Amino acid sequence: MTTPLSPLIHLIDDDAAVRESLALLISTVGLRVETWAEPQAFLAGFAREGIGAILLDVRMPGISGLSVLDQLIAEGVDQPVIMLTGHGTVDLCRRAFKAGAAEFLEKPVDDDQLLETLQNAVRQHVQSRQRNSADRAAQERYAQLSEREREVLGLIVAGLTNKEIGRALALSPRTVETHRANLFAKLQAESLAQLIRQYASLVEAAEGGTP
Amino acid sequence: MDRLRIFRALLQLRWWLLAGITLALGGALLIGQQALDSLRAAFETDARIVHRVLSQRVVQHEAILATLSLLQPEQGEDRLSAVYSQILAVRRRADGASWPEARLSAAEAASRQTQRVALAGQDFARGRYTLLLAGLPASHALDIGLREMLPREEWPGDPQQSPMRVELQHAGEVFLIQPGRLHAGGWQFAFEKHLAAASQPFNVVARRSIGWPELPWGLMLGWTLLVALGLALAWRVRQQQIARQRAEELLRMGQVARLNSLGELAAGMAHELNQPLTAVLANTQAACRLLADEPPELDTARQAMTQAVEQARRASEVVGRLRRVVERPEAGSGIVSLDLLASLRNVLHLLEPETLRRGIAPQLPTESVCWARAEPVALEQILHNLLMNAFQALDQVPAGQRSLRIDIKRREGFIELQLRDSGPGIPEEVMQHLFEPFYTTRAGGLGLGLSLCETLALSMGGSLRAEANPPQGACFILTLPAAEAA
Repeated sequence: MTTPLSPLIHLIDDDAAVRESLALLISTVGLRVETWAEPQAFLAGFAREGIGAILLDVRMPGISGLSVLDQLIAEGVDQPVIMLTGHGTVDLCRRAFKAGAAEFLEKPVDDDQLLETLQNAVRQHVQSRQRNSADRAAQERYAQLSEREREVLGLIVAGLTNKEIGRALALSPRTVETHRANLFAKLQAESLAQLIRQYASLVEAAEGGTP
Repeated sequence: MDRLRIFRALLQLRWWLLAGITLALGGALLIGQQALDSLRAAFETDARIVHRVLSQRVVQHEAILATLSLLQPEQGEDRLSAVYSQILAVRRRADGASWPEARLSAAEAASRQTQRVALAGQDFARGRYTLLLAGLPASHALDIGLREMLPREEWPGDPQQSPMRVELQHAGEVFLIQPGRLHAGGWQFAFEKHLAAASQPFNVVARRSIGWPELPWGLMLGWTLLVALGLALAWRVRQQQIARQRAEELLRMGQVARLNSLGELAAGMAHELNQPLTAVLANTQAACRLLADEPPELDTARQAMTQAVEQARRASEVVGRLRRVVERPEAGSGIVSLDLLASLRNVLHLLEPETLRRGIAPQLPTESVCWARAEPVALEQILHNLLMNAFQALDQVPAGQRSLRIDIKRREGFIELQLRDSGPGIPEEVMQHLFEPFYTTRAGGLGLGLSLCETLALSMGGSLRAEANPPQGACFILTLPAAEAA
């Protein structure tokens, strides 16, 4: 996984003056900005794996901001999208949120509001990326477990003691202890609490998947 | 081309035509049927009269014979012919004598057997027949002339002129009483009945032909014309109704369209202004932040401020462009001399449903024509707005107190139209802002109606103002330049 240097804001607006002024304003708080005049060029060229947020004007020639939003969501782009509009009607606002916009701002927009919204969006994006990568790592580790170790893990998560697990699986407490030590090592868990917190959902998903 | 146009017109009118044809045909059929019925009734009455009077005559013959047989007069029978012209001769067979003709002897034998009058032969070709009654000592016979038998005074109609043919028939012989006028085609009436005397069972046959020309064509034509006239009238009324509905619809649509284009204008304006305003705001705020840095980034801040100034100019250009678009291209174009009162009547006519619904009877000036110089559409728009305002004001007072008076007065070079309502009136604080755009006291109102009216009045070289209408209500005064009477 490539980790970008710092968050990048994608700004899409057909008006050069608006684009430049907003880019300048955003750069004053140390966020990097990439500006796009055309929605099609943006859709074709922006780096999807980067950390950041998308600031999208609703009203543009050729393709409306709302349909750009639709395409982004359909593609599974995870950067938060902030819609920017000249005349925000309730209807437009509702449609934007329904389509998956993270925020809806009206032009002209105050610096505090804009910058705070962007910073919040970036923070959320970073967190969700971290959560996702943690989840992915846990999944990879979980995949290394043997069938027996998964059974033992399921019973540990269910709250059974070694003795009870041994009885349930017709194993000696000693064997159970070996499995337990192995799976703690494979899952890189340092405590029972951490093990349960990180893997309970995976165990439940696995049990739900193979009833 | 012409034929095509006529065909199209007919196609459009097809329901009217169908209704007209159905009504006209149905009515004409009914009229014809009734005429035929009454002709038939008259024929049957005449035929019955003929049968009755002939029956009376033949019964009389039996009575005469019976009298002769009973009284057995020795002489004077010849005088009977003087009294009854149809009795051509009275014959008598004295006791012991015999009849000169065999048919008389045969008839006497029959008569003697039945004790009744017997027919002793007939000669319809010569128009005569003989009756005989056997008696004692003498028997009597009457020679009767058919032609002389007809009772002129009781006969229905003139036998020579009557269209009814009447015949007497007996044993294959036919006596024509009157020829009538029979012909093929049309309608045929017939009547047939034996005379009511056993001795003279002649068949009375009456016939009558009704030809097509005898139908009441005049009446039927009149009916058809009446139907056509009625339908034409109904059609015209309907056309007027449609035209009026269309005019109202257009007026309403015009208002909606105005509102829509206003909304479009506002949205466009918002976008056009928002872009530079956004840039101005972002640039100035960025500059503030840059200046607050330690050390301040003067160059970038200066650039941002330059940008802001440029964008502010851009915003003001948008406003200027908008004003040029909204301004009427040529003030005073389309102004003509027109009758102010006629325009007023026209607008009131369109608003008639509104006045009727509210129970308002507008009082109009008594003058017949008032010539003013105005643009017809703009004038009607002003009048429409003012009247609708007055109606809405009158809605706020009880129905009994609603009055609306319109006066037209001549001033020096101007015509003044005063519209007074008895509504709640205009409060002083509202009066000051009355003609300002976007000022409204009405929920959901745009606040553009009166402002637009004033702009229109000014563009026509007139003016619009409002004042109180003591004791209650408001008065709007529209002034327009007077025109020389055309």
